[in-house]
Amino acid sequence: MEKYVNNVLAPKLQGDGGWVEFISFENGELTLRFRGECSKCLILHRCTDWIEQEIKRDLKKTVKVTAIRKKPYFQDI
Amino acid sequence: MAHIKVVRRSMRPEEWTDLRFGWLKRHIYNEKWEIENLEIRDARQVREMEFEYYSDEYRPLKKGDMYFTPDGTAFIKAEVKIPDCLKDKELWFSLKTAAEICVKVNGKYIGGVDPNRERMLLSPYINVNETLYFDMMGYNRSKPDDERNPESLSVRGCRQIFEGAYICTVNEDVQSLVYDFELLLDIAKSELFNEDYRAFLNRELNNAMNCIDFDSEELTGVDDAKKYIEDVIYSNDTYKGTGDVALVAHSHLDVAYYWRRIHAVQKNLRTVLIQLRLMDRYPHFKYAHTQPYTYETLEKYYPDVFQELKEKVKNGQFEPVGAMYVEPDCNVPNAESLIRQCLYGQKTYERMFGKRVNNAWLPDVFGNSWILPQILKKSGVDYFVSNKMSTWNDTNRFPHNNFIWRGIDGSDVYACVPPTHFITWNMPSQIQENWEAYIDKDKGGQTLNMFGYGDGGSGCTEEMIELMNRFDKLSIMPKCTHTSGAEFLEKNLKDNKALEVWDGELYLEMHRGTFTTKSDIKKANRKLEEKFRTAEMLSVMRNEDNSKEITELYKKFLINQFHDILPGSHIHPVYEDAMKDYAEIEAGLDGIIGKGSKYFNTLNFKRNAIEFIENKNGTATKYGKKGNWLITGMDALSSGSLRKTSYDKEWISVDGLRVETPYYEIIFNPDGSIKSLYDKNLLREWAKGDFNKLKFYVDCPGNYDAWDILPNYREKEVELSVESPVVLVEKDGESATFRALLNTEKSQWEMRIRVFRRSRAIEVENNVNWNEKHKLAKVEFQCNILTRKALCDTSAGFIERETHRNTTWQQARFEVCHHKWCDMSETGGGVAIINDGKYGVGFLENTMSLSLLRATERPDVTSDIGKHSFSYMIMPHEKDAVTAEINKLALQYNTPLIKADCSWNMPTFEPLYLQAVKMSEDGKMTVIRLSEQNGTRGKIKLNQKVKILNMLEDILSETDVIEFKPFEIITIGI
Repeated sequence: MEKYVNNVLAPKLQGDGGWVEFISFENGELTLRFRGECSKCLILHRCTDWIEQEIKRDLKKTVKVTAIRKKPYFQDI
Repeated sequence: MAHIKVVRRSMRPEEWTDLRFGWLKRHIYNEKWEIENLEIRDARQVREMEFEYYSDEYRPLKKGDMYFTPDGTAFIKAEVKIPDCLKDKELWFSLKTAAEICVKVNGKYIGGVDPNRERMLLSPYINVNETLYFDMMGYNRSKPDDERNPESLSVRGCRQIFEGAYICTVNEDVQSLVYDFELLLDIAKSELFNEDYRAFLNRELNNAMNCIDFDSEELTGVDDAKKYIEDVIYSNDTYKGTGDVALVAHSHLDVAYYWRRIHAVQKNLRTVLIQLRLMDRYPHFKYAHTQPYTYETLEKYYPDVFQELKEKVKNGQFEPVGAMYVEPDCNVPNAESLIRQCLYGQKTYERMFGKRVNNAWLPDVFGNSWILPQILKKSGVDYFVSNKMSTWNDTNRFPHNNFIWRGIDGSDVYACVPPTHFITWNMPSQIQENWEAYIDKDKGGQTLNMFGYGDGGSGCTEEMIELMNRFDKLSIMPKCTHTSGAEFLEKNLKDNKALEVWDGELYLEMHRGTFTTKSDIKKANRKLEEKFRTAEMLSVMRNEDNSKEITELYKKFLINQFHDILPGSHIHPVYEDAMKDYAEIEAGLDGIIGKGSKYFNTLNFKRNAIEFIENKNGTATKYGKKGNWLITGMDALSSGSLRKTSYDKEWISVDGLRVETPYYEIIFNPDGSIKSLYDKNLLREWAKGDFNKLKFYVDCPGNYDAWDILPNYREKEVELSVESPVVLVEKDGESATFRALLNTEKSQWEMRIRVFRRSRAIEVENNVNWNEKHKLAKVEFQCNILTRKALCDTSAGFIERETHRNTTWQQARFEVCHHKWCDMSETGGGVAIINDGKYGVGFLENTMSLSLLRATERPDVTSDIGKHSFSYMIMPHEKDAVTAEINKLALQYNTPLIKADCSWNMPTFEPLYLQAVKMSEDGKMTVIRLSEQNGTRGKIKLNQKVKILNMLEDILSETDVIEFKPFEIITIGI
């Protein structure tokens, strides 16, 4: 799962100025840290839904993504 | 008595007008016929025109579906038969989207939709009786073109909800009235316009709205409202505006930024396509487009659209502007790179359109080097346009908008720094703001106002043109003239004797971090600039025709000098692309340079500096490689063999932190900084405080994280721990290396300080594992020198900069760009710092601080994280920097000896610097570029006649005596 996040998903989000990092995967819950443009995205939930669909298609696993936002220091208010 | 603030809760008349304006806009479309058989296939672009698809097949796309993916490109198609009821009407295609979509119908590119426009005209380009095959390619981006546009901002995000696609007809009367209200409401809301006029507008716009019956089933009263506005508002000439504004349509396109270069191909296509369609509809509309590179991508991948563009160039509507190949950073590239930007740019325009352009159009670059006017002038460029200094300076108001810019060598170009931003949407308030901010009202003629969405392209909209068509009806507006870029420049600047002169660099008082951010990119740029020089020189000497390959490599290199690539202000994938490009370019150049049995000195003067020669049996180490430190003494442009010295007597004494060499008595601090540097020959102390002291500062400049260093960085220093105090680790007959290891919680910094038996130089090699956040690493030198100026290399001469803070102008320049060296001197001597790839430096009184690394997180959260190796050389010297030949030492430091079997059969052209040797573009001459770098004048007598050329390699004259003046760059052909 970590490799998939780093090698498949991360480059795609980076292409939009975003950033995703694997934190943990336990009991079907995939916890990801979102940075860059993702951290302030108003519609991030759409992206996490998409990530769940991608994982289901590529890894044949049903996961629930929990998103943790890490905003850049100048927007962390 | 308690104070009760009176708050108006009831709706104001202006709000009532706004509300109805929203209702009016709902009636723009007469008919909307939904295309219901759309299909979509998601993909991601991986290379230019290459895509990885998420599925083999298209899937249906219905209103309400999610579409687009992160960094996604989507292909959308539909087969459409126009309903009979619409066939005799003017038809539009409408799709409200956050994506950037190019639309092809029956194989022909028809137009584009994006967040700045939701519809495009179909009728002139289709046959309504045919089946229409729609093929759309859309690139979604979460970063809008301009974050000031709230509509654009509101739709950002990777995953979008599809709102449907339609064939529609437009109610032209409503649309026209909407444009009237758009225009007049902007004035009514802007405090830049006369208060009484705004009151008049608010009153009369309300009256105009009252003409419309919004309750009727079919909107009635639109004609009456339109007539009311014509009769009452447009006819009113009681309120007089002043000003004379030239409106030039333009779209700024970042070749890479929040997107990769591969995406700019389609961004450019969409932008060009949309402007071409506006030109079809509005024959008086003209548009200026920069960057020959973008024209090349259009020509290569979309030849049909390029052919249309060529036609519009011919009829004068589409205007190629900007002589440079891309809009490069104009601080970090060296003189030869900037010349090549012009050469390849102009050659490209010449090939495509049979003409060159006489302007440099660089609206967004982060300040401009003083060497630029000469390069522009000698590249056929008389006019320079750049916006940043007027709108982005953080301390001083730049004192001119239309002026003459005098370069380091005394060359003049006409310059325009427009008063306002290069992205506007042609609103009256923006035009008025431009006029009010315009400083040269009495001397400069018209002021330049660019309009069009930009950054990611997009450009002008129908609305902008429609508004512009109404400006003449408003007496309150400045006089506005829609014109081309060249027309504006020729009309207002050419031969204008009243223009003021700005003699100096065009320093941008912002974005000072871009001299340092993305250290790897800058180091690669420096190294490859030198390798291009070598590869071209060897090709000429060996009589090999590598021109085609070198030009291709050069162009790839120049693209990476774009002003959001080389400065480091980009997302992570752009960094990866650049480093991949650099590796490919280096491999290509290494292939051309080849190998030889002897060493060759590509410099046109005798080498006298200590230098490291790699040798696996060597007794010294640099960057982990074995070798020897030698003073080769190799003559200009000559070859020979080298032999390591075998000096075996004791030449250095070390007693703890005290070290004595033939030149110095040094007292180190444990962290590798130098407490005392006593010069045994000149009998003086060079250090006065922290000297060679590594310092980490908290570096939090805010939203412009990668771009900016703020003056407050000095307020908070982060302590470094000494993990391993400075100690002698290596010694041979020429050099001795001392090593100190410093660290923070996250980073390790190895400093290897090297002293020499036969050189005054002290080299500091740095090997860093950098894992900081929001830190700026600087090395500081507090010198025992009394001076008020520092010299900085520009790559084509030096610039003097004040070290005091007397005025706000000096205060703002706390961090500046330099190239290979900087120097502080008294008349009797000074200290120079020579680097191998650093550009940012600060001066304050007796202190030089070289910026080494940053750790920013926007736009790239991992910017600069990782391993770095770089060196600098401390060079105390007698007399001033010119007499001490610091420039020659810096050139030697950055131009290693190469292994090549070849011989030079032309003069050495000393005392000028041999900047480039190349085959001419037409293959008929050897082109030699010479640069005076010491601020002197003189003559070189040759034993044959040579042709004097400009930088575009046009022959100007013939001579056998080269006369040169301070900082002149001379191009000759043999």
